[in-house]
Amino acid sequence: MSKPLLEIRDLNVSFGTKDKPLCVVNDVSFSINPGEAIGVVGESGSGKSMTALSILQLVPTPPARVTGQVYFDGKDLLQLSNSELTSIRGKEIGFIFQEPMSSLNPVMTIGDQIDEAIMLHTDLSADARRVKVLELLRLVGMPDPETRIDVYPDQFSGGMRQRVVIAIAMACNPKLLIADEPTTALDVTIQAQVLDMMLDIRKQYNSAIMLITHDLGVVAEFCERVIVMYAGHILEDADINSLFASPKHPYTQGLLKSVLTLTEKQHRLYQIQGSVPPPGTIKEGCPFRPRCPVRMDRCAVEMPPMKSYGPTHVAACWATAEGVE
Amino acid sequence: MTRYILFRLLDAIPTVFLVLTLVFIAMRILPGDPALTALGPLADQAQLAIFRERMGLNDPLWLQYLKFLWDAVHLDFGTSLINDVPVRDLIIRNLPHTAYLTIVSVLMGLTVGIPLGVLAATNRNKPADHIVRLYSLIGYAIPDFYLAAVLLVVFSLKLGWFPINGAGHGFWDGLYHIILPAMTLALLKSAFLGRLTRTSLLEVLGRDFVRTARAKGASETRVVYKHGLRNALLPLSTGIGISILATLSGAVAIELIFNRPGIGRLLIDAIHERDYPVIQAGVMMFAFFVVIVNFIMDLVYVLVDPRIRMKS
Ligand SMILES: Nc1ncnc2c1ncn2[C@@H]1O[C@H](COP(=O)(O)OP(=O)(O)OP(=O)(O)O)[C@@H](O)[C@H]1O
Ligand SMILES: [Mg+2]
Repeated sequence: MSKPLLEIRDLNVSFGTKDKPLCVVNDVSFSINPGEAIGVVGESGSGKSMTALSILQLVPTPPARVTGQVYFDGKDLLQLSNSELTSIRGKEIGFIFQEPMSSLNPVMTIGDQIDEAIMLHTDLSADARRVKVLELLRLVGMPDPETRIDVYPDQFSGGMRQRVVIAIAMACNPKLLIADEPTTALDVTIQAQVLDMMLDIRKQYNSAIMLITHDLGVVAEFCERVIVMYAGHILEDADINSLFASPKHPYTQGLLKSVLTLTEKQHRLYQIQGSVPPPGTIKEGCPFRPRCPVRMDRCAVEMPPMKSYGPTHVAACWATAEGVE
Repeated sequence: MTRYILFRLLDAIPTVFLVLTLVFIAMRILPGDPALTALGPLADQAQLAIFRERMGLNDPLWLQYLKFLWDAVHLDFGTSLINDVPVRDLIIRNLPHTAYLTIVSVLMGLTVGIPLGVLAATNRNKPADHIVRLYSLIGYAIPDFYLAAVLLVVFSLKLGWFPINGAGHGFWDGLYHIILPAMTLALLKSAFLGRLTRTSLLEVLGRDFVRTARAKGASETRVVYKHGLRNALLPLSTGIGISILATLSGAVAIELIFNRPGIGRLLIDAIHERDYPVIQAGVMMFAFFVVIVNFIMDLVYVLVDPRIRMKS
């Protein structure tokens, strides 16, 4: 197997005080190979965004505290100084955010904002950069780029703004693209369009992608591997086929069941009972325990370790490990 | 853009009329007889009659109002009762001094205040931030006349670094004379602007597009100045407008204490001497100053915020 492009080890993110920490990301470890497309799924508040932002040290510290290691190209990104980070952010790793309406500077033209990403990482002349910006605008499907290039963001719809954000993220042909629910905030009608476009570009550029989403259907269509997160923990990490064929964690099973009932047009939607516990409420054991249909006594005491179910499939569940289905 | 400026200018006309009308009404509803108020209790009937005739106080009110407007539009403010000079000349002689004081103190206040605010915002809750906040607090608490007196005593009387009074002659001498008075106002302004910069920059730096800029690989300096400060200028320009207007009340104290010519000084002297036409003109000047500053601030908004520019 090739060397991973990104390797996260024991990532922890917490808020609150030192004595009373609120952990929102707990001992998260996973890796991404060059060119690989990996999906991260989980309910709201499961720590997906915090994990993604930690990679580039974009979580404001304080108030947050981030520990662990994030190896990228042999360097631990969490140890880098701000100036060392600037040569990786936007160049090696591109980032697309959840909120297109507020992710662009309102007093800068979209052309200047894309141009900035190129200017910061290359020696191209202003003219050459403008050509490149137009090229990128065409690439992300911006109609009439020659006039749009000098327009301010508030003249654009959410979909168009997200295209600009994607152009910024792809400007320097990054090795890794982190997309945090890039289409959740958009109109349903254009979600698919923008997503298709983005994933198409990343294929052309051969970038690896970490795609955070709520939508298992999207994951099934575009990703090679899935990471399932819950309350700051990774519960399952598997390749697509293995995960959809035989999910190992009861939470993943629940997620899949709710999607399947949808597609089969049943009258009643399957729902996982209960809701995600707020951070800090579950201190020991498995966080999914209160909602779990197969919970055991042991689950209350000890967080289950990752157990392997094949070459590319791990899950953290006591019940599954002991063969209870 | 030109249309926007024209529109704003037209917009100012009703305000100017309102101001003129208010000044007119204010001067008429002053308690007692204006002639008596102006000339004082020692004036005899003949003097009062002459005064009334000269000021047109015997005409019907509507005619007085029209005359008043007509004169004001022609910048004719009558003649000083004390030394028989046209009020217009007095204004022309004094206005540049107040304008100079305003401009120099605002520039000084901005050059000190904005970097202080940036320093505080980028070092939030660290020593630099605490020091700047303490400075702002003190700046808020000290009255301008008190600070003026202290600076005058220390730097002019004790150390002899600066002249004690007057406005000087010629450019360099004028500059030498204005440093201390302008510094007094600038210190207070920088305290206000520093605090304002800190608040609005902190607000801006928490917004999503700042994170986008960081994710692009922009350095912290670039993030703060290019993305942060540029956006913080929008709320900040309102504060700058307020602080320019605050120069007016400041100018009265400063011009008195440093014994400088100026509109504030002119007005205070006129009030002491009951120089009715000069008071009226002085009040009008202050009111117009407000209108003009507001107009300039509107233009600044357009320069700072492209969104307004696009809409017009
Ligand atoms: N500044 C903060 N202070 C305290 N807690 C925070 C802060 N920011 C985020 N959190 C908490 O961190 C947890 C994880 O948040 P995160 O944004 O990573 O979730 P997410 O999985 O991305 O959810 P979503 O799908 O809604 O985007 C949440 O419970 C949230 O309340
Ligand atoms: Mg999120």
